[in-house]
Amino acid sequence: MKDVLKDFRDVSGEHLDRLTAKGVSRRNFLKFCTGMAIAMGLPAGMGSQIAEAVATQKRPPVLWLSAQECTGCTESLLRANHPTLEKLILELISLEYHETLLVGSGKQAEEWREKSMRENKGKYILVVDGSIPVKDNGIYCKIGGKTAMSLLVEMAADAAAVIAIGSCSSWGGVPSADPNPTGASPAHEVLKNKGIKTPVVNIPGCPPNPYNFLSTVLYFVTFKKLPELDEKSRPKFAYGRIIHENCERRPHFDAGRFALQFGDEGHRKGYCLYKLGCKGPETFANCPVQLFNDVGSGAWPVGTGHPCFGCTEKGVGFTVPLHSPARPKYITPPSLFTEVFPGKEGVSPGTKAMAAGVAGAAIGAAGAALVSGLGKKDDVTKDKGE
Amino acid sequence: MAKRITIDPITRIEGHLRIDCEIDGGKVTNAWSSGQMWRGIETILKGRDPREAWIFTQRFCGV
Repeated sequence: MKDVLKDFRDVSGEHLDRLTAKGVSRRNFLKFCTGMAIAMGLPAGMGSQIAEAVATQKRPPVLWLSAQECTGCTESLLRANHPTLEKLILELISLEYHETLLVGSGKQAEEWREKSMRENKGKYILVVDGSIPVKDNGIYCKIGGKTAMSLLVEMAADAAAVIAIGSCSSWGGVPSADPNPTGASPAHEVLKNKGIKTPVVNIPGCPPNPYNFLSTVLYFVTFKKLPELDEKSRPKFAYGRIIHENCERRPHFDAGRFALQFGDEGHRKGYCLYKLGCKGPETFANCPVQLFNDVGSGAWPVGTGHPCFGCTEKGVGFTVPLHSPARPKYITPPSLFTEVFPGKEGVSPGTKAMAAGVAGAAIGAAGAALVSGLGKKDDVTKDKGE
Repeated sequence: MAKRITIDPITRIEGHLRIDCEIDGGKVTNAWSSGQMWRGIETILKGRDPREAWIFTQRFCGV
């Protein structure tokens, strides 16, 4: 603990000064960095390293390419309501190009994109949302007269890393649903076919959780490499476990209590949604732990009474019929049996785990990883093998 | 002599929009707007279970 505090005292720099000038307190900034470290399953002490990297370095340039998208991913990111996060999103990275947010239009926008790509060659992060149509030479999505396909290849070639945000750019998503009229393809597939070797991280979800995206960017900024990825190029800290393992309705599944129809007694009582077609047992994501919009417990699809439809998983979301039962493959015991602070209202389990993680630093940095239950890579491999 | 101006992309909106304007003597004489992206969601919906139509149509626009 002493070391952690010492490290935090050492965090300073021009960027931190700029943040404090904008009303972000130093304390909140460090809390945010620690929270991010814990969300990624890193020891709490790593928070100071993240803070150091964010406070002292030039903000990493980010170019955002939108292809066949609905802007839901951008909306999800803009609505991150974590205290101070809204300001930090705009201060952590230098957003150079983003169609929905750019002030300039047309020629101005495209010239700025080209200028930024030249000046930040090999250093910028390329974020892609939306699938890339490849049928008929990619004519189904054009920006400034160029196809999304050619823009992706051009922009990814000079990027340090590509982050595919959302299901569409990660595995195809809605536009790739049968019969895939436009040949909608994920970014990594297009790049592979064109021989572009830039590393790609996939953050699937429809929409994805903004904290999974932010954590990945922060990890890259801090450690100059990408976080550990699974075989589908998804960060293991966020997609290492199936939804079913951490679902708050899991005890009902284990006890055989199911909702059989929407609005029936079981549904009203919050029983397991497996028989209504919940794809939690075959979908990898941290939705039940991380939740959405920081509005407290229950703020995720199953929490509101609707089955998970497997949006993060290729071959499940928008592919398997919505109400057909899941094909459970990885049944393992839940990692969170009891809440860390039972009975405390208005705080999501994820936030509780985070708070407990910060407290855990007092006992030992390892406490954080234990409480959050994430990032245990050995477990993941073992679970799948069983 | 009419002059043609093309603005593509139009930013700060959802989607990919292009505007073409024809200007003659300082006045707009003709204009076209065109969506530059197509996913074919109508085509995707054909033949599906109506109970799951919403997961596709809801995603026309995420704003």
